[in-house]
Amino acid sequence: MSYAIETHGLRYRASRTFEIRDLDLAVREGAIYGFLGPNGAGKTTTIQLLLGQLRPHGGAIAVLGRRVPKDLPEILAEAGYVPERPHLYPYLSVREAIRYHAAFYRSFDAAYADELLGNFRLPGDQRLSRLSKGEMGKLHMLLVLAQRPRLLVLDEPTDGLDPVVRRDVLSALLAFCSQRAATVFISSHLVHELERVCDWVGLLDLGRLVAEMPMEAFKNGIKRIRLGRAPAATDERPFELVSRDAGAGGETWVVRGWQPAMVQWFSGAGGEIREVEDLDLEDGFVELLRAARSRGA
Amino acid sequence: MWTMLKQVLYAQWLASRTPVVLLALLGFALPLFAVYWGSGLEAAGTAGVAVWMAGSESIAALLPYLALLVGVAAGFMAWSPDHAGHHVYALSLPVPRPLFVALRFVVGAALSCVPAVALLAGALIAGLSVSLPDGLHAYPFQLTVRFLFATLTIYSIIFALAIATRRAQLLTAGIIGGVLFADVLLAALSVDYSVTSQVLLWLTVWPGPLSILGGSWALFDV
Repeated sequence: MSYAIETHGLRYRASRTFEIRDLDLAVREGAIYGFLGPNGAGKTTTIQLLLGQLRPHGGAIAVLGRRVPKDLPEILAEAGYVPERPHLYPYLSVREAIRYHAAFYRSFDAAYADELLGNFRLPGDQRLSRLSKGEMGKLHMLLVLAQRPRLLVLDEPTDGLDPVVRRDVLSALLAFCSQRAATVFISSHLVHELERVCDWVGLLDLGRLVAEMPMEAFKNGIKRIRLGRAPAATDERPFELVSRDAGAGGETWVVRGWQPAMVQWFSGAGGEIREVEDLDLEDGFVELLRAARSRGA
Repeated sequence: MWTMLKQVLYAQWLASRTPVVLLALLGFALPLFAVYWGSGLEAAGTAGVAVWMAGSESIAALLPYLALLVGVAAGFMAWSPDHAGHHVYALSLPVPRPLFVALRFVVGAALSCVPAVALLAGALIAGLSVSLPDGLHAYPFQLTVRFLFATLTIYSIIFALAIATRRAQLLTAGIIGGVLFADVLLAALSVDYSVTSQVLLWLTVWPGPLSILGGSWALFDV
């Protein structure tokens, strides 16, 4: 199995109150990996570490099979990065920004950039300082897609964009991925946005990776189970117990890795299931976060 | 490499063209102002020539300040586009960091040459527009070379400070603050010695790095 991004024991202390702790990430080549987490979880910091913009205080990072920061220029030649906030030079026009960007990438596809310029309906002669937030987001996406990268790292690429622009940006991303076997690492706190595009998901909270799993498992494997009677033996379970709340009418469990056949385990262990409820992605995300925080506390 | 340099140069020109053009205009105008006193020079006697020379030199004395201004402005402008963007875009480009810094340095140095070129043009026109008495000569090329060296020296110092780490910048600020504080302390103790003056002397007298700003900046000399 080859990985586009791998970190081992990654540590970075940003301040007295926040640090990335022993982060082990594994993003398979060709995956569209959603990096989920609430605001302030450390997503942007992690991305900056992956791309060599920050120096880690410990651990190892490999991107596209090369080491960070040793092989950074080679990595960056094959990686496109859309930062959370635009940092392009505001005094350039759209076409000038494209030409500037193209000068640094041998693989830059000028014809594709022109095609995207039309598709995104971007005004080529407009100064970047006069672009709207949506146009700026589209320009960033244009620049990295025209690089023809093997890895795309997108930090909240659609945050603050209106639904039309968001759809344009995500459509272009998916079209690119369908044409090329590129890996996409996309961070967001918008759970439903990632649901549509990602096949893997990693959940970060307070600088720690809380969960990492295929999106399918995230969508279907997390259930809320209302119990009339809790099973007696709860140490050896065929699923992972995320949280457990006792109420007046019985207990409510949130479990991960659930499969319908596991109902039998409950009856065998003396439990009684009243209802197995599907959690939507956002509820699953919240439950996983809550469980991680209670474990941390 | 050439394509990168061309693009960085063009982008930097767009970012800093207004101050560069203004400084170039100043560079062009100063030598012309210096010969303003040259009208009717042939008819002036020895005393008149001396007065004219004094006027010309007083204008020429502004040139080191212009060189200082160009160097400081170019030094700050060379790094400010990336600094404004917290270097996020620059650091995402696939070039080794020393190479990117070198690109920025070369581009800033190139733009700081524009006022020098304007100065040369102004000095040449000024030299040609006046009939100098015997024994007096115009030195437009020497003046321009001096101006260029002064500009590039100041530019290099400011550029180095601008790209330095926060720690190095704080250290520099700390040293300057320490020197000033030492002076205040010495004054309070009634000691007749100025550390600031000593440091300035060390910097501005040969072989101090700023000694190029001193000496004669006259366009016309014997």
